[in-house]
Amino acid sequence: MTDRAAVLDRRTDVPAAGRPGSWRVVDLVTAAMVAVAFGVVFWGYDTLVYPAIGLATAAVPPLAELSLGVWLLPGVVGGLIVRRPGAALFTELVAANVELLLGNQWGVTVLASGLLQGVGVELVFLLTRWRRFGVGVAMAGGALSAVAEIVAYEWWSYVPSFSWPAKLLYLAAGVVSGAVIAGLLGWLLVRGLARTGALAAFPAGREVRATGRGGR
Amino acid sequence: MADAEPAAGAAVTVADLTWRPLGRARPVLAGVGFVLAPGERVVLAGPSGSGKSTLLRVLAGVLDPEDGELAGHVEVGGRAGLLLQDPRDAQVAERAGRDTAFGLENARVPAATMPAAVAAAHAAVRFPYGPSRRVQALSGGEAQRLALAGVLVFEPGLVLLDEPTAMLDPASAAAVRDAVLAAADASRATVVVVEHRFEPWSPFAQRVLLLDASGRLAFDGAGDALPEADGVWQPGRPAPRPLQLAPALLAPAAVASPGTVVLRAERVAAVPASTGRGAAVVQDLDVQVRAGSILAVQGPSGAGKSTLAAVLAGLAPPASGAVALQPPLAEPAVAPSALSSTRLAGLVGWVPQEPELAVVARTVRDEVLATPRALGMGREERADELLAVLGLDEPDEDPHVLSGGEQRRLALAAALAHGPAVLVLDEPTVGQDPGTWAAVAGVLLAARDAGVAVVVATHDPLLAALADDRLALPGRAPEPEQLAPRVRALGRRAGPLGLLLSGALLLAGSAPITSPLPGALGLLAVAACAPFVVGGGVPARRLLPPLVAALSLGIATLLFGTVHDVSAALTAALRIAFFAVPGVALAALIDPSALGDALGQRLRLPARPVVAATAAWLRFGQLADGWRTLRGVRRIRGLARPGPIGRVRELAALTAAILVATLRQAARMAVAMEARGFGTATRRTWAADSPWRAADTAVVLLAAVVAAVPVLTVLLAGTGVG
Repeated sequence: MTDRAAVLDRRTDVPAAGRPGSWRVVDLVTAAMVAVAFGVVFWGYDTLVYPAIGLATAAVPPLAELSLGVWLLPGVVGGLIVRRPGAALFTELVAANVELLLGNQWGVTVLASGLLQGVGVELVFLLTRWRRFGVGVAMAGGALSAVAEIVAYEWWSYVPSFSWPAKLLYLAAGVVSGAVIAGLLGWLLVRGLARTGALAAFPAGREVRATGRGGR
Repeated sequence: MADAEPAAGAAVTVADLTWRPLGRARPVLAGVGFVLAPGERVVLAGPSGSGKSTLLRVLAGVLDPEDGELAGHVEVGGRAGLLLQDPRDAQVAERAGRDTAFGLENARVPAATMPAAVAAAHAAVRFPYGPSRRVQALSGGEAQRLALAGVLVFEPGLVLLDEPTAMLDPASAAAVRDAVLAAADASRATVVVVEHRFEPWSPFAQRVLLLDASGRLAFDGAGDALPEADGVWQPGRPAPRPLQLAPALLAPAAVASPGTVVLRAERVAAVPASTGRGAAVVQDLDVQVRAGSILAVQGPSGAGKSTLAAVLAGLAPPASGAVALQPPLAEPAVAPSALSSTRLAGLVGWVPQEPELAVVARTVRDEVLATPRALGMGREERADELLAVLGLDEPDEDPHVLSGGEQRRLALAAALAHGPAVLVLDEPTVGQDPGTWAAVAGVLLAARDAGVAVVVATHDPLLAALADDRLALPGRAPEPEQLAPRVRALGRRAGPLGLLLSGALLLAGSAPITSPLPGALGLLAVAACAPFVVGGGVPARRLLPPLVAALSLGIATLLFGTVHDVSAALTAALRIAFFAVPGVALAALIDPSALGDALGQRLRLPARPVVAATAAWLRFGQLADGWRTLRGVRRIRGLARPGPIGRVRELAALTAAILVATLRQAARMAVAMEARGFGTATRRTWAADSPWRAADTAVVLLAAVVAAVPVLTVLLAGTGVG
């Protein structure tokens, strides 16, 4: 098990090629397209499972925030794929714009949410200087993204009249969701994508090749 | 090159070029060398996987040297332009003129000179519409000619074409070839065409470069001197003979006697399954599909072949009329679109047009066994035999790393392993060389002989010649450009920044709503202004989510607020509704292209990310189509499960699948954009300006007045009480 953990650790440290800040065309286009693909996923999520979650959390509304992590996925996934300064923020902002253009619950304020969520993930990558991309970093990114969104925005805009215990429960639900859905599931998703060879042009794809799995 | 010289062809020198991608043991290109004279035209041929596309990318200067080891010498004496197989990969704008101008914007050509250059490029490729034609409305052949215009507009000395007609019907392909020919004659550019089937190109390019499977240059000379080679469709040779296979390999689980009508469509009209709306492409059609018989559906691009195939397979119900599986397959007769996933899978096999959207498993073998396992069948031997017959000899490989032609054959094996009685295929022979074509044709004939009812939508004349019945769908006249109706509503004449600023003002104006009265009056003001700002243009379903959000927050506040009373709950709901409902309505009026222009030109955000994001936003509809196809594939393969857990699993599988497809498309888009100069365009000119109009000022002023209603109410109420 420790061997395996070591392998996982080593495989998640390949940074972006070239100068970190010099975005290639494929970096820009991939981040933007991943964001739009998540726009499609959100739309599918609304039709496939969201009503069920709404019913399940109806009894304790602060728990509805348990689904927050779904909306934080683009930032985490974009950051893990492109691995350049601004990748997480850019992906989350493009995704927020997709929601804006497509229709959503909150109107233009979705852009403010996208900004805060993206900055939250980006901060964690900044702390590692865009050199660490393990599951722990991804979960921290998802969690901080949720904190930024809730503490800087949702507490004051959506639920200002909640009591403090309810606000803290709301925050806890969002943080758990951010860490698990955006962080853990996002990290697993990127690893799965790398195994299909679809990330051949990216560090995540090179990690998989370096360990001789997938691709040819 | 002096400016005074007319645009002329570029000379190309390639010497001892070797390229080994990361993670591969053998090079894809091995010691390739040749020289092209300015203005020379050559066809580059070779079996799939022989490095043709890679060589074009090297010549176009878009191969990332970080992706492998590059050795040798390449010299191109001028700019290179690259046209890819799928024209959708090159689309960056909503309208034709803007799309063509992309390379000019990247090269920082002044906007004033763009319309003339765009018009000249459109004329060169015989583009039949004006610059405001929507790119989405183009047929495949028209879109490919537009993509060619986007390459020609910056006058490249070297034009590189990567299988530019592979996705087109014969008539559209001929139109594209004519456009290439005319444009090459006019510009005298050097041209390299990659093609599997080069017979149609032979009047245009006599010289042929042939790469072999190991990436070496096997032949360089006149096309008619080409020695017989595997994996290449050669001019003047007879059609390949379909492979002889034992019908037992494809015996269906449910047998009907040959000639029985097992699937019947009556007075069917259908709209493209992807959109589920718009004009019907198939109208009032009767189709009878018989056991032990092949029906070929033919017709030009856009005639509705794929739409009809999807409706017959039960992926979508028809818009009107009836489609029904007949006894003995179903007693009583039943519409395939109404069947459960497993029941449909047991009866119908399906090969979609986009084979990369058909992948549901992690290895080639699991892919073929996915449906038999879902139906509780053991079909290992049959699966292995099918893979061997179709030349798929690496069962443990990930299906995503296969070539397009291999993926298509894999989809065929996967559709047949469990023995469906009906098989529906959409363009199964695209990307096949003569050997693999014979295998595909052999499988279809053996399935027919085993009693399977086969429907194949195709524009391959060799395949259609093998069918027992043929159905020719008429082509459609292209839809005329809709003239934009004269708009009255203020919001529709405003730009994105005016609309966004208005939304932000309303959000700020919601802060003073701390009791129900200011909220109610504010909402009344919103309702009073709505007809002038949005008119009737915003569909009600868009307004439902913010209303539900307001309601649910009201209820939550009642239960979890500091004060448990109805007034606080009502206040919360009114406050959310005050900014969210008009915010959503205003956002619905934003045009993605105009938003990109505004962000780049007025807000001066970095140009490259803004342009990449705009190009991506315009793909939403296309990705949503991909999502529907993926869902349909999983259903017809018997993999969709009912119940909440089944839905969550379905969502996870679809998310991974749409991302894989998106990443692959993004990689191709990046190549196309880089080949048009996007890589270095940190500064650019903009073909369309982004004016701040009087309507913007008006809508912002109106929003400011509405936003002030709550605070004024509070102030007035305060003085009234005081």
